[in-house]
Amino acid sequence: MSRVLVAMSGGVDSSVAAALLVDAGHEVIGVTMKTFCYSDIPAHGKTCCGLDGIMDAKRVASTLGIPHYVFDVEEDFTRDVIDDFVAEYARGRTPNPCVRCNSNTKFRDLLARGEALGCDRIATGHYVRVEHGSGGTTLLRGLDDGKDQSYFLWGLPPEMLPRLLFPVGELTKTEVREQARALELTTADKPESQEICFVPTGDYRDLLRKRLGPVHPALEPGTIVRSNGTVVGEHAGFAGFTVGQRRGLGGGFAEPMFVLEVRPDTKEVVVGTRDELLGAAVTVRELNWLTTPPTTGDDVRVQLRYRAPAVPATVGDVGAELRLELGNAQPAITPGQSAVLFDGDRVLGGGRIA
Amino acid sequence: MSSVYLDHAATTPVRDDVIAAMEPYLTARFGNPSSAHRWGQEASAALEHARARLASAIGARPSEIRFVRGGTESDNLAIIGGVRALAREGATPVLLASAIEHSAVLEPAGWLEGRGETELRLIPVSPDGNLGLDRVSDQLDARPSLASVMWANNETGLLLPMDEVVSWARTSCTVVHTDASQGVGKVPIDVGEVEVDLLTATGHKLGGPRGCGVLFVRDGIEIEPLIFGGGQERALRPGTEDVAGAVGLAEAIHLAVRDLEASGPRMAALRDRLQGRLLDAIPGLRLNCGDAPRAPHVLSLGLPGIRNGADFLMALDLEGVAASGGSACHTGAAAASHVISALYGSDDPFATVRLSVGRASTEDEVDRGAEVVAEVWNRMKSP
Repeated sequence: MSRVLVAMSGGVDSSVAAALLVDAGHEVIGVTMKTFCYSDIPAHGKTCCGLDGIMDAKRVASTLGIPHYVFDVEEDFTRDVIDDFVAEYARGRTPNPCVRCNSNTKFRDLLARGEALGCDRIATGHYVRVEHGSGGTTLLRGLDDGKDQSYFLWGLPPEMLPRLLFPVGELTKTEVREQARALELTTADKPESQEICFVPTGDYRDLLRKRLGPVHPALEPGTIVRSNGTVVGEHAGFAGFTVGQRRGLGGGFAEPMFVLEVRPDTKEVVVGTRDELLGAAVTVRELNWLTTPPTTGDDVRVQLRYRAPAVPATVGDVGAELRLELGNAQPAITPGQSAVLFDGDRVLGGGRIA
Repeated sequence: MSSVYLDHAATTPVRDDVIAAMEPYLTARFGNPSSAHRWGQEASAALEHARARLASAIGARPSEIRFVRGGTESDNLAIIGGVRALAREGATPVLLASAIEHSAVLEPAGWLEGRGETELRLIPVSPDGNLGLDRVSDQLDARPSLASVMWANNETGLLLPMDEVVSWARTSCTVVHTDASQGVGKVPIDVGEVEVDLLTATGHKLGGPRGCGVLFVRDGIEIEPLIFGGGQERALRPGTEDVAGAVGLAEAIHLAVRDLEASGPRMAALRDRLQGRLLDAIPGLRLNCGDAPRAPHVLSLGLPGIRNGADFLMALDLEGVAASGGSACHTGAAAASHVISALYGSDDPFATVRLSVGRASTEDEVDRGAEVVAEVWNRMKSP
């Protein structure tokens, strides 16, 4: 059995992941990544040791009889994830910070530091699976359709896959909670985390105001227009809008209106009908492939947002950018979100929607 | 694999004789010292005996001893209460603190400064223990001032020149506070010889219970309280007294000071043995403050070629050796501490590991510790 570093967020999934690895006879080391500080105390902010997730993870690790450490990744996380999150909104796009974290921060850091601690393998509580085949190791969707998190993991460095373990990917959420209760883990009935971890209030605009400063074009009033240019209203800052959004557009329309586009240059938010929201093609950038890249003409499935179904698409040009022609037009194709390509349950790779 | 605890500067076990001294005051003699009846009298007598015992261990008068709840509280009381008492004179007091003070001093100092209650000046310190007092002395004699300089630095063991601080302070009538949490029981301290005005000590660094501390307040020195209630501890620290804690604290300090003549050289010999083995095993090793006078129990290493000191400590722990990076108070922090930055610059390329011995440490333990530190260093050093 090997020495495994398991990333424990303090939630039930990673708690059970750690427990399953202990059961399997591995030497397990638990770590929690401290990604940011809730404290508003300026300057000497290094001292916040009281994040709930860290405390929960410590209790679970102690129940399991494994060591537990805290990795302080605040500096990298701020640079790679939070700064990108803010910059994307300031450009009128809608970022996926969890993707960014998994691709750039979390797994790379876990692997590097795991190696320093003599760990052969890295584990997390994500609902995905890895399959070791003759053609190498590939990433598969988790068995629980409702919980599958492969959408967030397309950006992993492919060479890492053979080192990764995802013990709960083979289980359903119900089974995970049952396991946690059976093991009397304190996190068994902890509610799902819904929010972005560094936006605990759920209102990301507070964070934007804090980090962009009070005067920034993304937070200044602008007009709401139809695609033909007709002005239909005003808004308080385009950073508050995302493609497909219905709320915050004011009333008085004959049919439901949705955000079609955010134009940072003119501070305009473009709105239109449900039909206008549909797009037949998508361009994807910052590509990462976990298998051999697809080639022009391949039929694949693409998932354009978390919890959306993967829909048929045909690969157009592939290079630094990827062009996909969608089998059926899809609503609210959102710049900044991930487009993840699948072959059945297998993750081929993905990128950011241009 | 045998495990080795080399982090006694973080905390150290309570001595059996201290537990024995405390036990009656947790059980049979449970009285409240403020009560007039004989239960109260018994508790009150124990408290005053403890006060006298503690006072005599550091050369103070019993009336100068205030029992508080730990070292951090004692530091906060000295800094905030000291500055506020000086402010009664009208002018904004100047607060001078060495750049390597514990956060229990620097945080309240920064907080006061942020509120406009003081002008904070940081006293630079060099790795050989020199204080840049002349660089912070500008126009000091015209203003009320408080200086806080620790007796022994918690991260490096560096002993600061308290004699020099006290004589310098006389010229400007500066009130002198010293955080002696890592000094009492480790080096001789007598407030009759080195005439500081305020002194902080804590129990759990020398075999006493946690959550028990003391502030020595020289007769005639004024301190504003931070909390209010009954009049306990001369109204400086109201609240029903922790008699057992005070008894334990006084006993621990008494024993540590009594044994110092033997235990000081013994700890220093263990520290030197550890240091010698590591110098042999790790080329390019820097001993932090290695050329300065140091408290006998702390060895601070500047490890070459280690990118992340936090990872190094985890690796040590997995091999069964307990150490810390500088201070034990910053969970998982990867960056260099403010102490190392102040001494060696913020871009110091060395990773800090603090090893510290206690009264029960053995040669076998430090040998094993040295072996593991060297092993892990060899494994983790960048090529």
